[in-house]
Amino acid sequence: MKGAFIYSSALWVIATLGFVPMAAHAFPLNEKKAPETQEDLMLIQQTLLASIPKAKAATVSIDLGNGFGSGVIVSKEGLVMTAAHVSGGVGKKVTIIMPDGTKHKANTLGLMAETDAALVQITDTGEYPFVELNRTGNINLGDWVFSLGHSGGFNKERGAVARLARLVRVANTTYQTDGTLIGGDSGGPLFDLDGKLIGIHSRVGPQLPVNMHVPVQVFIDNWEPMMKSEFMGEGPFAQKPIKGNGMLGVATKSVEAGLEITKVGKKTAAEKAELKVGDVIRKVDGKEVKTREELQTIIKDKSAGEELELEILRDGKERKITAELAER
Amino acid sequence: MEKNGKSLRNLLSVKWIILFTGIAGSHLLFAQQSLETLYRLTGDAVTGVFEPQREVIQNCSAVIYNKRDEIAYGVVISKDGYILTKASEIQIEEKSEEEAKDKAEPEGEKKSEDKAKPDGKEKSKPGKEFKLPIPEGLPPGTKIEDAGAIVLAVRVDKQEFDEVKIVHIDKKWDVALIKVDAQDLTPAEFAPDSKLEQGTWVVVNGATSRTKRRVLAGIISAQAREIPKDGVVGLGLVLEKVKDKLQVKDVSKGGGADLAGVKVNDIIVNLEQKKVAELKDIAEILVGKKPGEEVKLTVKRAGKDVELTVKLAILAGSEKPMDRNDQMSGDFSERRSDFPRVIQHDILANSNTMGGPVLNMKGQVVGMNIARANRCETYAIPVEELQVIAKEMLEHSFK
Repeated sequence: MKGAFIYSSALWVIATLGFVPMAAHAFPLNEKKAPETQEDLMLIQQTLLASIPKAKAATVSIDLGNGFGSGVIVSKEGLVMTAAHVSGGVGKKVTIIMPDGTKHKANTLGLMAETDAALVQITDTGEYPFVELNRTGNINLGDWVFSLGHSGGFNKERGAVARLARLVRVANTTYQTDGTLIGGDSGGPLFDLDGKLIGIHSRVGPQLPVNMHVPVQVFIDNWEPMMKSEFMGEGPFAQKPIKGNGMLGVATKSVEAGLEITKVGKKTAAEKAELKVGDVIRKVDGKEVKTREELQTIIKDKSAGEELELEILRDGKERKITAELAER
Repeated sequence: MEKNGKSLRNLLSVKWIILFTGIAGSHLLFAQQSLETLYRLTGDAVTGVFEPQREVIQNCSAVIYNKRDEIAYGVVISKDGYILTKASEIQIEEKSEEEAKDKAEPEGEKKSEDKAKPDGKEKSKPGKEFKLPIPEGLPPGTKIEDAGAIVLAVRVDKQEFDEVKIVHIDKKWDVALIKVDAQDLTPAEFAPDSKLEQGTWVVVNGATSRTKRRVLAGIISAQAREIPKDGVVGLGLVLEKVKDKLQVKDVSKGGGADLAGVKVNDIIVNLEQKKVAELKDIAEILVGKKPGEEVKLTVKRAGKDVELTVKLAILAGSEKPMDRNDQMSGDFSERRSDFPRVIQHDILANSNTMGGPVLNMKGQVVGMNIARANRCETYAIPVEELQVIAKEMLEHSFK
């Protein structure tokens, strides 16, 4: 099916444009079923050695607060491709860790919950190292490829881990390679041997040679809605936020200045945000709150993972506190 | 003894494992086109092209057996049968001094030594000896082979050796030097260095039959580096709950708390500006912290609060708890941390394929496999260090 799909879209290109797009310098050994000589092997090595440094410079770790994934920068402005189960949602704040350990703030854009594709935008302005996508459609079974990723989380001394592999299964929404992946690699890049991006790491099977990636074509086909921060599809790789499932975790009573906190629940969003008993909440997201019901109405309209901007009075001083709602 | 990893393999119930450290999930997608096994990285069509390197592996990669089971590989370093391997995989233990003494000095002589002592002449200590663990409390007449004791044998090329002498071990590197009675082995050729760029081919012994070694190939996959000791980080304190407070009962000598000046009987007030009343409060604060990181500790001493900065360290004897990555890794080496420097490659391996040579394309040894760390990372001792280790152990054996 996948083969058919690629083939028919190639035909469509021929029909409309009248020529076959040149495969940009395809790696010659992909034409052979297997390398035949030691020279062939050295050609694989030589090509790989030339491609790794640039690919590695753009391969980032994504710190999600409760775990790590990987990603790859695909534009000078810091657009990052990753997996939907890494970004986990739309409009979330994450931290991007560059190979040298520099951290950048980023926001998650759109995602495809069914195929495990997502985009993230670095919000710190700057010029970022990036890789190019293989847009030729000339990606085939048996191609020599390599994976990069921050396996098990970021480790500056080790750097991104490389794995050489072949494309061993090809389907519409999945590539399988025989280069092993592990937790933390998710969202990291799969490259052809010339260093053009062909996929994003997604998941593995119980056996070592079963490692799955989202084809870059899935991203290309859904680029616009993803850039517009659309949440596409229903699971299993990301769950749509459910309104009203967020919780702050405080007990309050109405006082003249607003809502006074009488209790902060253990391990709640409120505790994490360091709200204290005696704090008086004056405004939430810019709206004045005088009663418990008013606070609840605001929270009910949000979901777990979303943030509340609180303006409080503590010891007579005004303070601003941001609390991320926990799941009820 | 069953390996943790092997028993955990059975726990893997999900079909797909999402590769994000922290969240589990499962999903199944059907693939349409599939590459024949023959042409995959581990397939004969690919590994067959590494025949020149395989011929070297055939001669210099020893296979170490416990009875019939392959338990490790080794690097042949001399014509007359010296071989390097991973010590913990063949479960070599250092003999306690007492055991070594008992063997060196039978009862009768012991007494004579006691008598000799008044002259002030101490008998020289016997050299370190090494043994394989033997199960205790066997019924009389039981053969140790039948009782689960390790019985080593070694195969090099097509020769098999049943007499295996353990010459020395290097605990720091987890390397053992063993010796078989041979005259005509082809030792490994060491490469001048292990400075290989990420992406360079390396070749190892992948599988063994009676007559033939098979190879697997992969690439140098990460930067050479130290692998710090795994384990649980802590302050280096023994604490006791006294009423509703935690009091210092003992301070580990040379530990983080000791160096920071924590004293016995200090009462713990705050850790990282958070109140602590229970041991689990401390564990919660320290979760995710790394050795070498500093934490602020406030203790009450003689009625006054004292603020201290404690450098965290790995607690002696602690083991890293199994995480999700360990669970999806299947089999990995029991000892896979605390190495001064390693190179890393991406070749599929098991805990029982450690100890063997890692070759470059010239067929020279660039390292010795020392730990299967997880499903995608294997560590090898770089050839520079390996040569030093080998030299020191050989010198020791000739003393």
